[in-house]
Amino acid sequence: MILGRMVGTVWATRKNPRLENFKLAIVRPYFWYNPSHDVEHVIAVDQVGAEVGQDVLVCVGQPGRWVAGDSRCPIEASVMAIVDSVEIERGTENAPVAPFALRSRFLPTTLVRVGDGGSTARDAGLHETDGGTP
Amino acid sequence: MMLGRVIGEVWATRKNPRIEGRKALLVAALAQDGDRRTPTGEVVVAFDSVGARIGHVVTVTWGSGARAVFSGPDNRWVLVDAAVARIVDAVSVERDGKEVEERED
Repeated sequence: MILGRMVGTVWATRKNPRLENFKLAIVRPYFWYNPSHDVEHVIAVDQVGAEVGQDVLVCVGQPGRWVAGDSRCPIEASVMAIVDSVEIERGTENAPVAPFALRSRFLPTTLVRVGDGGSTARDAGLHETDGGTP
Repeated sequence: MMLGRVIGEVWATRKNPRIEGRKALLVAALAQDGDRRTPTGEVVVAFDSVGARIGHVVTVTWGSGARAVFSGPDNRWVLVDAAVARIVDAVSVERDGKEVEERED
């Protein structure tokens, strides 16, 4: 799955009948694996009701197609969940050997750092709030 | 499958009912470079099936393999494209023509 931010919506009137009643979301991934296209977005069917600016989980491939209940639908990605928060091991996001593609893009607004004493970090309000804008 | 290290968790309340109860982990891919293991920069979100925690080295399986991890009578409807399938105890690599085992702490 892909973690990304919803940055827009696609509207279409003339479309494949199997795409009827699906909302299409433009999601900009914070990272993804094995990108098959050299673009920085993916268009996903949204049945969860995400809004622009929210962080979402996107499922790709065949499982993403099943949200429609019909594997013949021309869908290859769908929004699975709206992210409340992302917890990341303390230090990982700033490690010198770029272990984390998040560092080179922008950070989820919901990022919470955990580490030695995860609950302490949360209680202390170490929330990342100044993640860049998409 | 991919070797990776769990670096975080993703929490979500509003989600598709077919992924209810699954824990989503952030896994950073690792490349075995000789006897060193370095992060490639790729990060994947995968559902946990074995109780992995932050810091664990795990393998991630994709596609229908991930579905098999969560297999059940109606596994066709488990919406998952990546799953943490096992926690790695040790990795054996060949070094100078010999097999060397490296254990995880």
